[in-house]
Amino acid sequence: MALRLPVEFQDFVHEENVLGRESWTINLGSSNAKLFTQLFGYMFDNVIVLGPDDDALDYTFDALVEPKIEGFEFSVPNQSKTDAFVVWIRYRMQVFDSVGTSASTWTVSAYGKSQAEGLSGEKALQRAAVLAMRDAAALILLQMDKATNIGVLADGPIDTGKPDSGEASDGKSVNDEPTVFDIFTIGGIDEVTN
Amino acid sequence: MKLRISCIAVIVAITTSGCVTATIENARVEATGLLEGEAVVVMAKSYHQGNETEADYIQCVETALGYGANALNIVPAQQFIDKLFPWFEPRTAPGNTKGLIQFMEKLGVSKAIELMGVRYIIWIDGDTERVTQGGSLSCAAGPGGGGCFGFAWWQDDADYEASIWDLDKSESVGTVTADYSGTSFLPALVIPIPLIARTQARACGGLAKQLKTFIIGGEQV
Repeated sequence: MALRLPVEFQDFVHEENVLGRESWTINLGSSNAKLFTQLFGYMFDNVIVLGPDDDALDYTFDALVEPKIEGFEFSVPNQSKTDAFVVWIRYRMQVFDSVGTSASTWTVSAYGKSQAEGLSGEKALQRAAVLAMRDAAALILLQMDKATNIGVLADGPIDTGKPDSGEASDGKSVNDEPTVFDIFTIGGIDEVTN
Repeated sequence: MKLRISCIAVIVAITTSGCVTATIENARVEATGLLEGEAVVVMAKSYHQGNETEADYIQCVETALGYGANALNIVPAQQFIDKLFPWFEPRTAPGNTKGLIQFMEKLGVSKAIELMGVRYIIWIDGDTERVTQGGSLSCAAGPGGGGCFGFAWWQDDADYEASIWDLDKSESVGTVTADYSGTSFLPALVIPIPLIARTQARACGGLAKQLKTFIIGGEQV
């Protein structure tokens, strides 16, 4: 199993002006790289982590997964008229077989919400981002095999004569059902400023 | 003279407060009780289900349950969630007792809960809202000094419901509801004298006290 992390996963920064009044900069730093490395390390027996400059042809694997951030949105109390900071992150998971043929794509929409009380706006937004990333991790852990059919790639590359299928697979290289695991820590979120 | 007025205002503000009315009710379904080493965890219902319970209220109830007479063993909510990842995230946590049975059957869940010693989950739903307000207050300052004049008031309603789930039996054992309504006043004659009704804090203390009674004082274990 190979995991190719795009450059943005090492240093993700989102900047946005809210209603022309506030400018928010959310720096997720390397937290996405740490999250996916940790998560896939749990889900699969052998994981090779490839950087953006690595050539996948130099490695042997049954499947390659390339996640990327397709969208990042947030709302602050001024917009929602509540006390809540909310973050939405949309990840796009592209799955390739061992010869580089696209096997499936899966969009993971994650959501995190944190109330402002007792926290500064920066901390509350950061907390919402962490909750959204946890939400994504839970979704990937529980639904990835069903959503992407990645398990069948353990039996060899896909037959290119057939279209991509969204149906669940029988063959499984991914763990059947996750047990509880007490390892989840999202590190690498550097700062949130406005 | 001004110092004397200020002192009186401070004393009045400290020794008096707005009025709060309270209603607390139990609805017991099953007997409860806690054995040595058993603990409870206090959780806010998921925001995926539209819950808006304030995080500091949850913290307050958790703290109040863990201290004072009949203190309960508390497992911090975040520790509980982390130990059970990914089964107790806002999206995946069981929303009802049917989901609780399925949750307890997940691989490793029962063992993790047993290791933490958690017997009950207390789900808290509800919030505190400002329902009405009125009056007017104005302040002015000049070279010779300043002051305020007027009268303002507001009413806060704190409505919370705690559902108690027994993890040993995988069932709901009952609910405790706390409805508090408090009216605060702010009269000002030169010096404003705030008479604040601490509605949410009272609702926290009241609910926690009743939860202790509910859990420990159950008919039988």
